[in-house]
Amino acid sequence: MARQWLLLFLPLLACCSKGPQADLQYISDARSLAAEWALINQQASEGKLTGVYVGSMHQWLRTQLQTDSAALTQPKSAYGAEIAALLQQPDDAAPEALSAHADKLKHIEDALESA
Amino acid sequence: MNPLELTLGIMTAVGGFVDISELVFAAKAGSTFGYALIWVFAISTIGIIVFSEMSGRVAATAKQPVFNLMRHRLGLKLGLVTLAASVIANLITCAAELGGVALVLNYLTGAPYMLMAVATALAFVLSIWVLPFQWIERTYGLLGLFMIVFAAALIAIHPPWHQIAGGFVPHVPAGLSTKELLKFGYFVVAIVSAVMFPYEVYFYSSGGIEEDWGPKQLLTNRMTAILGMGLGSLLAISILSNSAQLFGPANVDPSLPGTAALEAAIPFGKWGLILALLGMFFAIAGAAVETCLANAYSIAQFFGWIWGRHKKPWEAPRFTITWIVLFALALLIVLTGVDVMVLVEFAILFSILVLPLTYLPLLLLAEDKKYMREYVNGPVSKTLGWFYFGVITLAAVAALPLYFLTSGGNG
Repeated sequence: MARQWLLLFLPLLACCSKGPQADLQYISDARSLAAEWALINQQASEGKLTGVYVGSMHQWLRTQLQTDSAALTQPKSAYGAEIAALLQQPDDAAPEALSAHADKLKHIEDALESA
Repeated sequence: MNPLELTLGIMTAVGGFVDISELVFAAKAGSTFGYALIWVFAISTIGIIVFSEMSGRVAATAKQPVFNLMRHRLGLKLGLVTLAASVIANLITCAAELGGVALVLNYLTGAPYMLMAVATALAFVLSIWVLPFQWIERTYGLLGLFMIVFAAALIAIHPPWHQIAGGFVPHVPAGLSTKELLKFGYFVVAIVSAVMFPYEVYFYSSGGIEEDWGPKQLLTNRMTAILGMGLGSLLAISILSNSAQLFGPANVDPSLPGTAALEAAIPFGKWGLILALLGMFFAIAGAAVETCLANAYSIAQFFGWIWGRHKKPWEAPRFTITWIVLFALALLIVLTGVDVMVLVEFAILFSILVLPLTYLPLLLLAEDKKYMREYVNGPVSKTLGWFYFGVITLAAVAALPLYFLTSGGNG
């Protein structure tokens, strides 16, 4: 019986926890957003996207990144700084610069997942 | 059987197959697990074919829509619980679709998202008011065929076809950690839910009654379900496969519905992008209209009101008010500013919980000789029906724990 209660509450505990493990979903989301941003800028530079689509996607990517950044339980961590640095990038940042941020966040994500 | 009617019916089903949830989960499944989840799409598609064909057959022979059956078979109390749960699930799904359409319009025109949500809701109300049932279904379904650009994109990027073929064989990728296994499990449940959404069967069977199907339409019903949904599913599998090929290696785990449109832009440029966005717009818009009408059908059928779009709006006043109010509620949800992706996750979760209660009364009636006479379930329909009932019951039981343990597939 006690085991059943524990199984019931474990997910709730996981939802309420703090620290890097709790931030993992936001790190993962920010990593993907950085990679999506890089891909969009790369395709835009090759003339494959419309200006309206690019502008709109930039706006949504930035909003989503700000949401992730605000949701971090440890904003002063290495990953918090990385997400903040990403938010400092201009909309038309070089794809390589954005990919570098995505790669750094991916390293942090992998390290946390294997911890 | 009129070949033109049959072709149009099949094409409508193809164009109307993909909705916002399938789009989102197909793209995410491909980027996260490569081709390993294709079999879940394939198996779930057979499931929705089985239940759609069954509901169409019941509508054509017993002349009974799903919610009428539910009240009689489950009793008033359990029927009311099912009605309440499915109305909530469909309302959230409708809000997700409405938000998705507004987003696509924002990608296409740059106009503000909230304004587009209001304009879209008004356009939907107008289109349902003005168009006869068959044209509502066909307009959105046929224009949704722009989604074929995703299948063309897959051919253009020369994917590893042997790996895609391997994805149709049920398997779990080797070497996954416990966390990844849980995430894989969550995706399995989410895809089953997205493909077998309950609103699809409510809409399909009510549509059969709207169009006054009889035993003569049974072959059309079967062909439309098998070919239309089967081919439609290939579009969802194309989105998954494009994502596996283009997004996975780039560390992109599509966080925005608009990212999926890149799949067509990469091989075809601006025209690919525009066709993909137009396909997404009409396919998701069709789903928004279907979820809203399915909800109104459910409520009207349960309480025994006069219902149907074959009647003038003022000839079925409670039904008309219901679908208008439901659109207004869906719009209010979108206007709160809640993220479309969050709505998609809740829609998936609520829908899978309702699925077993939706399909059980249908299965029981389709096996009842008193109502179905010679059109009763044969051994194949019976076996597949109970097999899929087991699958969706298992998925419903696993859905909540998997959702929390994986933070909705994000953790």
